[in-house]
Amino acid sequence: MTTTIDPGARVRQRRATNPRAGRTARTRRGAARWTVQRVLLVALILAFFFPFLVMLTTAFKTPADIFHAPPTLWPRHWTLANFASAIKAIPFWLYLGNTLLIAAISVIGVLISAPLVAYSLSKIRWRGRNSLLVVVLATMMLPPQVTMIPIYLLWNKVGLSNGMVPLVVPTFLGVPFLVYLIRQFLIAVPDELLEAARMDGAHELRIYWSVVLPIARPALVTSAVFQFVWAWTDFMNPLIYLGDSGKYTLSLGLYSFFSQEGVNWGPLMAACVLFTLPAFAIFIVAQRYFISGVAAGALK
Amino acid sequence: MTVRKSRHRRAATALAASAVGLALAISGCSAGGSGSGSGKTTITFSYLWTGNEAAALQQIVADFNKSQSQITVDAVSNPDQTKQLSSMASMNGSFDVSDSYGSNVGSWASKGILEPLGGYGIDTSDFIPSVLAQDEYQGKLYAIPIATQEYKLLYNKTLFAQAGITSPPTTMDEFAQDIAKTTKTTAGGTITQLGLGTSSAYDLLSTLAYVFGGQWDTDGKPSPTNAGNIAAMNWYKTNVLDKYGASNIAKFESGYGEYMTAQDPFYTGKIAMTLDGEWQSANIAKTAPNLKWGVADIPAASPALANATQTYSSMFFIPVNSKHKQAAATFLKYLTGPQAMLSFTKAIGNLPARTSLLDAKAYNSLPGFDVWLQGLKSKNLFAFAPSTYATQYQADLTTAFSDFVLGTQSAQAAMASVGQKAASYGQ
Amino acid sequence: MASDVSAAGSRRTARHERRALWKGLAFASPFLLGFVVFIAYPMVASGYYSFTDFNLFQSPTWVGLANYRHMFSDSTFWQALWNTLFMTAVGVPLTIIIGLAGAHVLNFPIKGQPIYRALVYVPVIVPIVVGSYLWRWMLNSQYGYVDRLLQLLGLPQPAWLTEPAWGKPAILLIALWTIGSTLLIYLAAIRDVPQELYEAAQLDGAGSWRRFVNITWPRLTPVTLFQIIVVMISYLQIFTQPYLLTQANAVGNGAAASGGAGNSMLSLSMYLFENAFSFLKMGYASAMAWVLFVLTLLITLILLWSSKLWVHYDNND
Repeated sequence: MTTTIDPGARVRQRRATNPRAGRTARTRRGAARWTVQRVLLVALILAFFFPFLVMLTTAFKTPADIFHAPPTLWPRHWTLANFASAIKAIPFWLYLGNTLLIAAISVIGVLISAPLVAYSLSKIRWRGRNSLLVVVLATMMLPPQVTMIPIYLLWNKVGLSNGMVPLVVPTFLGVPFLVYLIRQFLIAVPDELLEAARMDGAHELRIYWSVVLPIARPALVTSAVFQFVWAWTDFMNPLIYLGDSGKYTLSLGLYSFFSQEGVNWGPLMAACVLFTLPAFAIFIVAQRYFISGVAAGALK
Repeated sequence: MTVRKSRHRRAATALAASAVGLALAISGCSAGGSGSGSGKTTITFSYLWTGNEAAALQQIVADFNKSQSQITVDAVSNPDQTKQLSSMASMNGSFDVSDSYGSNVGSWASKGILEPLGGYGIDTSDFIPSVLAQDEYQGKLYAIPIATQEYKLLYNKTLFAQAGITSPPTTMDEFAQDIAKTTKTTAGGTITQLGLGTSSAYDLLSTLAYVFGGQWDTDGKPSPTNAGNIAAMNWYKTNVLDKYGASNIAKFESGYGEYMTAQDPFYTGKIAMTLDGEWQSANIAKTAPNLKWGVADIPAASPALANATQTYSSMFFIPVNSKHKQAAATFLKYLTGPQAMLSFTKAIGNLPARTSLLDAKAYNSLPGFDVWLQGLKSKNLFAFAPSTYATQYQADLTTAFSDFVLGTQSAQAAMASVGQKAASYGQ
Repeated sequence: MASDVSAAGSRRTARHERRALWKGLAFASPFLLGFVVFIAYPMVASGYYSFTDFNLFQSPTWVGLANYRHMFSDSTFWQALWNTLFMTAVGVPLTIIIGLAGAHVLNFPIKGQPIYRALVYVPVIVPIVVGSYLWRWMLNSQYGYVDRLLQLLGLPQPAWLTEPAWGKPAILLIALWTIGSTLLIYLAAIRDVPQELYEAAQLDGAGSWRRFVNITWPRLTPVTLFQIIVVMISYLQIFTQPYLLTQANAVGNGAAASGGAGNSMLSLSMYLFENAFSFLKMGYASAMAWVLFVLTLLITLILLWSSKLWVHYDNND
């Protein structure tokens, strides 16, 4: 039995009792409303999705089609040359591997640390719990620019400012937003199970490990998915900490692609497509975790 | 009782576990560096160049590695300058030799991050004096120049012919006339072809200043409001900005293709004349082979300033946190030796920094290159002083030029505002 | 007897509380460690640096309030501050309005809901580098689609990235493209409103606007407050989009200083970054970071205080 926050369930419930669900265009006013709604929806979707179409079609265009003024959407001749030159121009697979490694490690870090802290904030009643919650929330509001320089200098002093260590270590120390997300989830979990286990004399860690974590799985998946995408797409931290081009992530790879003499828009768009694909794939697969996570984190 | 103790132990174990894990994580992935085992020293050479230039460097490095067996050079391309700095600041630097612009020498040497090169036995007698001077700070040498960049006047021969111009201008008056002849506008004022244009207002205006006898640094301090600088900017204003309208020009420029690509405005005939560097020779041959273009000295405002122009240089340096300075210096000697310099500058289409190479026949395959080469013999070669404030000065000038070109500030006001900012460079 | 029991009871409770305290701290230890090392210490350190002249390679030298005084007379700083505040003041309301309106559109009973939600959210997971370059291409005045669309609609086509007046709108365009999460949050919130309230209002003859104002909006105010704060913070810190939009190619030797035409696109964060890593004025950059922080706090506090006037918290659900 789960007490997950699932806006979808609520919606379906409401829809069932809503006499106006699935309205038809029987009346003339109904017909007008039907059309207007569809037009608005299409407009909304196009506004958000059109740039993707641009990215995709440009990746397959020849330079003649790309630099055609006025611009047209569909290529007249489809070509794969841009993808080939994108992979050649930058060490694509190397950067892909680097990005994957960093993302994977930071996901592990988050999965280890965030639930621990969230558990402390939700299932253990201790003095100072609420103060800590306030601190966690406050750190979410701190502009990273304030701490950026001293943290950089810190890593410099221990000689680790050139590499992925500064990028992944913070994830092992609790990411505030995800801590909060999991905490909100755990609050809704009834305490009876835990109390029962405690009365049986089980150690807190054991309760955490075998009772709470399994229940929290949806929130954990959501956190993993969020963290993966953040790590995958991060730009500023790799910019500061990844010194050798051999260590670059795809974000930096794209950035250096652009700095070379003369921007090649075709290959650049092709590289963009390749870079977006994995994040996109994860999103398609784990869509409902994203969406319920987004709502849960903000609503409660 | 046993329960309580073990519970505490559990908590303590959890803490310890995470601490150990953290320590492992930190000690684990540290920056890979240069190792030195079995007598051979490996050094890392990190450079900003990419693409063809990188390929040329790799060839030189390969030749060096083959030519001797004490040092192995590991060469990597790292185009971001910010990272270069962070490596030099770190305890474990990631390279032993790298490149940058001469304009950074003053700033970096003053911060003590460049290794002085006086004691490594590198013979500097063959280098062009004004270029070598850019790599010195307070009398000490901190870098070795590899290539020089120099600005000349490029013009589109086809557009000149269309306008009835038979030879490039040699005086400012002719220059102004030629601009007028090669600029085309519609009845409404929209520009369709610009006589004198550029993809970088900074490059154009900073170079023009020298031609009018201006100076950007005087006595080791920035001098943006120098009379010659203002005169140059006003000349540009009279003959281009005011004549055709700053907003029309801005509109025209917004339609430019990317610099140095096939859509470059000079290559596609949008601009008839521009001030640009010797790298165009190789690039036009590669990217726009059908363009009929010519290069000439920039007209000077007075005979004393004949062949005046702006130069930059690229240099190689050894960071102070390198752990293999001797090996790095040996490699540096090779890298800036005549042979390597010739093959590299030819490959990247830049000018050499050695006087002995200025007449080298090998450059003949680069069209128009000769004009630039001979230009380096001029006595009116100017450059920004190797100062501690170079980066910020150039950034502030760029902003001021941008305002000036948009017509929002007069030359006097724009330069005065830079002067104001310059007052705080010392901090 | 009774007092013995209660004394023993309170001893047990005290011990229990202490145990709970240890447990709580132990589980929270990763965060506590991280807080000390990555939040508390750097905050103090950057506060210290803000009173020094520090170029990264040599020891900091104490200069007192000089950095702050310099900021006051630094026209580039004011330009960057103005740019940032402008984008925040325009971006936040637009985000709320478009988010709310978009959520209503997504709420229409048209089949295929999961797909529409996904399509609207996808820009959020697109790498920010990809998004910025993509829009840089779309905003190109010669080959770009935005101007082409405007042309087809008969509207004037600005040169987005070269005209000073249009630089910030360009950045806003990219930022607004990624408000998918705001839409979804509002969508969930709208669906949380009990249908019975709408039906009752309809029976009373209230039109859809009235229904929105009196039923929907009050229930959305808590979410809106949260959104305003979160979005405001992200605009105040905006860095990557303008940085990449104004990135110059690394050719030639002119200073590749970004900032858009006349610095119209220089955000405070960008100027901070430039001072820290290009000009190596880390003391000055730290001072700017603290100004940014205090500004963020002030605006957040003002918003929270103002929330008393317009936010309705209800106690059900």
